[in-house]
Amino acid sequence: SSNEHKLNFKKSKEACLSFIQDALLQKEWKRAAEFLTCYIESLEKDYSREHIGPSEMIWRTGAEILWHHSQSSMKEFSCFMEQMKTLGVKRYLKVCLEHVFHLLCNGQIDEAYQNLSLAESWRFGEQTAIQDKEMKLIQAYRGLLDYYSWFKQKSILLEHSEDGFSDSAVEQEMHGYFRKAAVNLKEIIKIPGVWDIFVKCYVDLLEFYGDHNEARQVLNEYAYNSKFPANPNAHVYLYQFLKRQREPKKSLISALKILHDIVPSHELMIDFNTMLQKSKKRKKRRLGLEVIFAALDYAGWKENAKAWSCLARQVKQIVISEKHLDWIKQEWNSRKDWWPAFHFSRYLAKRNWQENKSLSYEKALVAGILLGKGCKYFKYVSHQGCKAQLKRFRMLKKFVNRHNPVYLRISG
Amino acid sequence: LSPPSCGAGPPQEEGGPAPLAGWGEHGQVLEGGPGRRQVQPAFVPRRGATGERWEAADAAAVPVLLPRAGCWIPSPAPQDILYRSGLCKKLRAGKSGAILDFTRQLGHFFVDHPEDAFGSLGRLLHKNFYLGNSKLQVIVSRSSTIRMTALVEDIDRLEARRGCPRQHLASRLRWFSHLCRDWLFEVPLGLLADCLHEELMQQWSNLLFDDSLTGGALAWLPPEDRGTAVGCLVHPGGQAMNHLYFQDVVLEELPRTRGAPAQFELSGRIQQVAAAHVDGQDFVGVRSDYHCGVWRVLGKRGAVPTPLQVIRTDVPASCLTVSPHLPGELSVCTQSGTVYLWSVETGLQQLRHDPQTMFFRDHSPWRWSDFTAHPRVLSCADRTGLQCLDARAPKRCHFDLFKVGEEAGCQQGERVVLPMYLGRAHPSQYLVTTQFSVYVLDERLPLVPVLKWAHMMKAPPLFAHLMPGKPGRSHKVLLGASRTQELLLLQYRDSFWGVSSGGSQSACQLAGTPQKLHSIAGCLQHLPTQLPHRHHLLQQRLTAPAAGLAATLQEDGPHKSMLIFQLSEAGDVFCQRLTHNAAQPPAPPSRDEATTAPGSSPLFEVPASSPQGLAAAALQYRHWLRALSRACKEPPGHTWSPSLSQRRLFTRKDLEGPAGPSSLQRQMRQRLHQTMKEGGLIQHWAPLALQPPPLPQALEPAGGLDPLSSRLTAAWAGDWEQWWEERTSFSVAQRRQALRERRRRQKRAQGRRSLSASFTSSLTYQSELSELSDTGPSVLSPGRPPILSQEGSPPAGSPLVHSPATSAAPDEALLSSQSLRCRGIPKERR
Repeated sequence: SSNEHKLNFKKSKEACLSFIQDALLQKEWKRAAEFLTCYIESLEKDYSREHIGPSEMIWRTGAEILWHHSQSSMKEFSCFMEQMKTLGVKRYLKVCLEHVFHLLCNGQIDEAYQNLSLAESWRFGEQTAIQDKEMKLIQAYRGLLDYYSWFKQKSILLEHSEDGFSDSAVEQEMHGYFRKAAVNLKEIIKIPGVWDIFVKCYVDLLEFYGDHNEARQVLNEYAYNSKFPANPNAHVYLYQFLKRQREPKKSLISALKILHDIVPSHELMIDFNTMLQKSKKRKKRRLGLEVIFAALDYAGWKENAKAWSCLARQVKQIVISEKHLDWIKQEWNSRKDWWPAFHFSRYLAKRNWQENKSLSYEKALVAGILLGKGCKYFKYVSHQGCKAQLKRFRMLKKFVNRHNPVYLRISG
Repeated sequence: LSPPSCGAGPPQEEGGPAPLAGWGEHGQVLEGGPGRRQVQPAFVPRRGATGERWEAADAAAVPVLLPRAGCWIPSPAPQDILYRSGLCKKLRAGKSGAILDFTRQLGHFFVDHPEDAFGSLGRLLHKNFYLGNSKLQVIVSRSSTIRMTALVEDIDRLEARRGCPRQHLASRLRWFSHLCRDWLFEVPLGLLADCLHEELMQQWSNLLFDDSLTGGALAWLPPEDRGTAVGCLVHPGGQAMNHLYFQDVVLEELPRTRGAPAQFELSGRIQQVAAAHVDGQDFVGVRSDYHCGVWRVLGKRGAVPTPLQVIRTDVPASCLTVSPHLPGELSVCTQSGTVYLWSVETGLQQLRHDPQTMFFRDHSPWRWSDFTAHPRVLSCADRTGLQCLDARAPKRCHFDLFKVGEEAGCQQGERVVLPMYLGRAHPSQYLVTTQFSVYVLDERLPLVPVLKWAHMMKAPPLFAHLMPGKPGRSHKVLLGASRTQELLLLQYRDSFWGVSSGGSQSACQLAGTPQKLHSIAGCLQHLPTQLPHRHHLLQQRLTAPAAGLAATLQEDGPHKSMLIFQLSEAGDVFCQRLTHNAAQPPAPPSRDEATTAPGSSPLFEVPASSPQGLAAAALQYRHWLRALSRACKEPPGHTWSPSLSQRRLFTRKDLEGPAGPSSLQRQMRQRLHQTMKEGGLIQHWAPLALQPPPLPQALEPAGGLDPLSSRLTAAWAGDWEQWWEERTSFSVAQRRQALRERRRRQKRAQGRRSLSASFTSSLTYQSELSELSDTGPSVLSPGRPPILSQEGSPPAGSPLVHSPATSAAPDEALLSSQSLRCRGIPKERR
């Protein structure tokens, strides 16, 4: 009966798919290609109601095979993708995007641009929400490529101006690219999302043409709009922009403060700490200590010699001046039950000494002050340092011994 | 970094598992150059970049450990608890879901545990129930005893009619169950049924998806210094998987066990073994349903592991992870929704207690917890997502790390299966697997995954293992499923351009295509051909669901290899080696796995390329197979041969035949001896039948000979008187004539019968005989016993002896069938 026939056909289709899957997972591209040619027959009687139909399967597996097959070429790939675009209206934009991505990754920027322009002009009835988003992305990528063309013209122009003559045609072209890029980039970054690459390019354009207010607004929006994901990069871009604009320290610090609140383990925390340490205000120096303690809480910073030296310097300063020992005490209170095992174990002392002497020096200083001269880490490192006749380790031992009462005050 | 959609709210995308959704998509492009200050922009794909090339060294996974004595008891299969019948198939086609065979299980309970089911009333009532065949004899007992035989017969009949849509309960049964349903059972029937049903549902949902194995029960403790290649494999074993083994393993071409393992017996089935290397020591956490324990293993191999602490939980624990930051710290979750930070020194600290799921309502009590980049911040997960909690202020400080929703582009119905902290690769990254996809998350950019890929596995990945790559190289992640034993190798690169160089910090890239690795069951086709039942046993053993996953990277100068261990529920640990192919030649034409005939694989052939390795693998297999057959050999007491004792069916008296060989046999033997002595040939026995055949079934009911019918015929014709006269006078001549006639007919019949007998089975022949013998004696008139009397001394060479099947004295067969009938044993029972 026809029902049975349908069932058998479905079964053999599924079997064929599983063969393709097996071949792909074992990187046997030729075998997969052979099975795929058989599977194409399933397009003829497509009764399936699954949300991924045979045409999508063919697109996905075909693309994958053509990426890896030893005898495939870019031309063949493009040809295949053109056919795939016609197979499904709903998928047209997505396939276009994927095609463009592949062209971009293979350095065929011009072809990619052409494809993007073509896709942009595509119209088919009413668009779904997803298609809307995909169209926005297509426009954004075209904007991005326009930006790169603009950038190219700009470097040519800069070269020429160095040589001492101006080229109005190149300049005109450059401005043209700017307009095209700016329009599209501006659109995409209005949608909530993570658009680092587009934001950076757009800000670069705005800055070149001196529209700093717009750039600031864009970056502020990107960083502070609550609809956008909490993206630390947004704050980093804002901070870098402010730095470029030579803004006062205060606004830099407030930008980094927010970054600290979101991501206490960010790399910029070292810059933040040095900035705060230099400050004359007590409150800011206090914040600096907090920042560096918080950063060193994270496993990623465990062996960061720079961070440890920041902490060691500030702790040393406080100990010498004997003012604000309570700052250290307060920070230490919430950490004294786990920092010794996390940072100052004998095992780590041995390893740090073997791998990085200056790291072990900074850490030993902090350990000596926070845990006293009896601390395992300090004892091991200072002993090894003295044995190796390194002057600064001898100084370290002297310093810690002299300031041992501080430890009692901190821990008490 | 820009995921195409970054909305919020519940997932929008519909649809279930998509078979090939993970292929053919770059997803997105990332900036490929160091910064953007260059004329020609460079892009790299989010997915589809070239990765490292790893190739399997052997054709199949190789067993590492020999099977231990004591056979493995397979966990229940769907056919054990599902209702099977034609009706059921019809129902299932109508999409009414699986039907649990509740009555059968209840029946099993009554039969297997009668004492628990009816103990006291059974003892009280057993005098009043009579199960015999005969009628109750004593009149006194009749008033207080009932005969149950009919009831039992009714039940048997009911069993035979199982699945019949028109089955009606026999009224007697209904009556009986009405009467005694309330008082007969030791445990009230309703209560018992509720418990059983609950258990059945539990078993069935476990069969569909067993999350108690999440995390896997296999751990590899790598060697402390890279020089000695001796690691330690921590795995469960024993019949109930309640023994914990620490086995030293030497990594060579094939991993080899060294010495006897350290062994601990635990009081429950081991569900999870987790390990972390902190401060030069390994901490091994072991989870069973109601107990969690932690062991410490010192860096030096060969040191005896020390058990540190055990905790007991009231509700089954669903998760145990070991802190990679602080020695002796673990996190424990229970199915009641409680998360604890467990420190060996300070004990348990409850971080959260919430029986509800976090982001939306989901019925699963499964909870998970792991550590994050901050040693005081723990992640906790349920099926709906992940949250991070600060152990110092768990109520106040928390943030959402992952949510099943539109932010991550999830599908409807997608659920978290296994979260894992990827700290060894990148301190702030996290892996989350669902039944459809894998996500890499960065805790600095929560909710938006930095990498997403549809893994296309047939079963949800319950196990994952990370092998961090050195800077600039890809990290490897292994995903493992339980029921299907799937193993998938993924490679990814994290933040390949840092912020300082102008790129995106949290960009993550999937490198290379995912690769399927050998499963344990895959070796079945390479094993030598086995006897069918051995093959079945082997298949059952090798296709047992996977229970754990561990792996290690080995670098020996330019040669890099990867060893992957896989544990099965049967307690087997199999291992496979992948070698790194530094140059990237086009894929060599690889052997077609599907077409290799069993037993004809390179695993067992004499290999040409690397004879040592492959020979070692084959040898290892032989050892394993031998040990398995030894371990699984049933004790002799249990062997059950399909023979039936006749003694149960017949009494000794029934079976008693005439003592010694019958005269016919004696005669036959004699003849045989004689012919042999003469060196002659017995062509057939017939020529010796000089005397009339001795068979008692003499008469065939032919019309004229039947006294009754002849009399009736005579009466009908009206000359009944004459008939009577003839009968009384009974002339001798007539009698002689009749006798001759009869003999002739007999002879003819005998010839036919022996011919047919030699072609049919002895059984039908016997029944034929007995049918004949049934009619035989009744025909004989009392006045003529001579033919029967011949039985005692039959003439030599009866034609019956033609058929070898009847060589055991036809008269005996006859006698017994007759005598059995006489003793009232019906024919069917013989």
